Amino acid sequence: MRRTLIFGLAAVLAAAGCGVGETPQAEGGASASAGGKVELSFLVFETPNLNAAFWDAAIARASAKVPEVTIKKLVTPNIDRTAYAKQLDAAGNLPDILQSVNPAGFAQAGKLAPFTDEELKNFIAPKAGAIGGKVYQLPYNTQVIPVVYYNKDMFAKAGITATPTTYQELLDISKKLKDGGTTPFIVGGGGADTWADMYPLTGTVATDVYKTTPDWLLQRAQGKVKFTDPDFVAAAKKIEDLAKNEYIDPAGLSRSYADTEQAFRDGKGAMYPMGSWFATSADANKPSFEVGAFPWPTDDGSPVTPTFTGGGTLVSATAKNVELAKKWALAFDEDKENNDAFVKADGSIPAIKGYTPPADMGPVYNATVEIYQKGMQEGSIFDAFSQEAGDGALPPGLADKAALGVQDLITGKKNAQQFAEFLDDEYAKATQ
Amino acid sequence: MTQTTHRETRVTPRPARPPRRNGRFLPALGRFSLFALPGLLAYTLFVLVPIGMTGYNSLTNLNPFNPPTQFVGLRNYVNLLSDAEFHQALLNTVIITAIITVLANAGGLLIAMLLDRPTKLYVLLRGVFFTPVVLSSVVISVIWQAILTDDGLLNSALRGLGVDEPPGWLSDPGLAIYSIAWIMAWQMLGFCVVVYLAGLQGVPRELNEAASIDGASALQRFRNVTWPMLAPALTINVVMLLITGFKAYDQVRVITNGGPGNGTTVTMAFQVVQTAFVSNRIGYSSALAAVMLAIVAFISVVVLRFLQKREVSQ
Repeated sequence: MRRTLIFGLAAVLAAAGCGVGETPQAEGGASASAGGKVELSFLVFETPNLNAAFWDAAIARASAKVPEVTIKKLVTPNIDRTAYAKQLDAAGNLPDILQSVNPAGFAQAGKLAPFTDEELKNFIAPKAGAIGGKVYQLPYNTQVIPVVYYNKDMFAKAGITATPTTYQELLDISKKLKDGGTTPFIVGGGGADTWADMYPLTGTVATDVYKTTPDWLLQRAQGKVKFTDPDFVAAAKKIEDLAKNEYIDPAGLSRSYADTEQAFRDGKGAMYPMGSWFATSADANKPSFEVGAFPWPTDDGSPVTPTFTGGGTLVSATAKNVELAKKWALAFDEDKENNDAFVKADGSIPAIKGYTPPADMGPVYNATVEIYQKGMQEGSIFDAFSQEAGDGALPPGLADKAALGVQDLITGKKNAQQFAEFLDDEYAKATQ
Repeated sequence: MTQTTHRETRVTPRPARPPRRNGRFLPALGRFSLFALPGLLAYTLFVLVPIGMTGYNSLTNLNPFNPPTQFVGLRNYVNLLSDAEFHQALLNTVIITAIITVLANAGGLLIAMLLDRPTKLYVLLRGVFFTPVVLSSVVISVIWQAILTDDGLLNSALRGLGVDEPPGWLSDPGLAIYSIAWIMAWQMLGFCVVVYLAGLQGVPRELNEAASIDGASALQRFRNVTWPMLAPALTINVVMLLITGFKAYDQVRVITNGGPGNGTTVTMAFQVVQTAFVSNRIGYSSALAAVMLAIVAFISVVVLRFLQKREVSQ
């Protein structure tokens, strides 16, 4: 017994002694390796477009610009990087640098390091996604959400010669398509990809609510407006009616995001309201038909272009070396080759001053960028509902609830009024 | 005869041990404690401490993204009473548990009886039926999603047979919960088969032969001989299926994410995780977890007691 205890004590002392002589921690608590480099963890997510090779190459390019940093890549188990970051944070392991995680909640709790105006000088919209006046996520790219991608062959076959500019024209086109035996809209949202059903509603909220009240969601946070107000209910009613008229097939709700895209490629529907990231996918892996694009139309034909700008890299306030982490994050997001790679893989529209996309981009991407640029010229850029980050964002968890609520709208389980009441209830729960 | 002999052997008095000296007993206890220590430590760290922390957190409004944390007493538990989503999750969990308990038990018993033969083919078939049990629930879910989605194998086959509008197995709010339950029952079927097979192989053939000579029909032999002898297997299966049903999460997360629509296939375990890691309401989700633990423990103990009494009486 005594021998066992002595052995145990010796083992504990030996383990403790292992720390003696270690390299002292660098400034800010960074642990430095023998070469004087700081190792920082970087949380990324993989998709078919943004695969392991993509991230490895992008990380290598940024690290070449900040040689005092070595990156330890962490990969989320699924596409929901924000939920995974929360789990890591709950375990006290928030990574030093994070890619495309929604800063809502993290920033307010002081878990993220803000970027200074000087650090943001190269960005087109340096204050995009600001929380309390501070920017925690680099606003490196813009996405138009939604763009209505359509099957030109199906339109031609139905005798449709022009894309709609008013909502009534969209309904007329939908009727023509349905009468001809074609499902007008492809909408998914199955499996873990519930979010994929949101885009028609994102379109109607932009045209019916944000167009007249651009800071509507901020006003919702201040209690000045409610989801049950007539304008929001009217936006939801449009989705309810699209489903009632069988312009949206509820069976599509079982399709995952990938299956939904495939369904459009397979010609199972004529129009596919989706984020602008679909553009490069359509160019890279061309369907058997030509794909066109138009913005979600308003009632009166005036232009509205819902967009999200942000989505870049974030730095933890408790990173091993915050300044170096920010320097590396900026190098990662501003690198021309990295942005080219994001453009080609994910259809992003980089929001970096002086950036021009590669000349060999495909027709669907170019049509999408045209919609965005037209929106910029016309001054018709608005937020994309449920995609917002910053002060006007939905409280944590509410975007997921909204996506589930949209399924209820499409299946007829809830009408527009009930959907709005549901959102108000969930908003109250999420902010209590 | 063999059993009788065995019993006789067991009651044969052992040779008396030399009396233990007190001086050696305590060091022996210390040695055994040392062996038990790692296990006890792991159990305390990974089971008891988290349960204790969950209990404590359930009495607070802990939200790591909205400090400060305040002690709220039983408010979270009171709120649960009027939380329609929790009631829906509880109902869904009960439906799933009831379906998998009945389906997997009935199917498992039937298949076990068909496979209770000593030939190589049947041994191979046992392996086939057990395969889903050892596969990851996520893998199973992905496979079944491919089968049950609107453009999946099943609906494609139905369309091929002339069904114009096949059911939306995963997109119809009225069907999705049953699809999830079916998938879970299918996965647990192999477990029940193996447990019932083990039980069947413990039924002495002499008893069935004697009953047969007495003129009992096949149904009567099953009812009066085989079924009572399978009581321990039934206990194991029912308790395992109840626990599996009450902690249903993986399949819901992968196949429906709680939809279609709000709450349609949300289970208690799913709601705990969503509330904690999506809505950040750790305090409230801890209360949910504590209630879930209490329900599972209560039902497991009651069912276990009832089935064990049945074993004794039979």
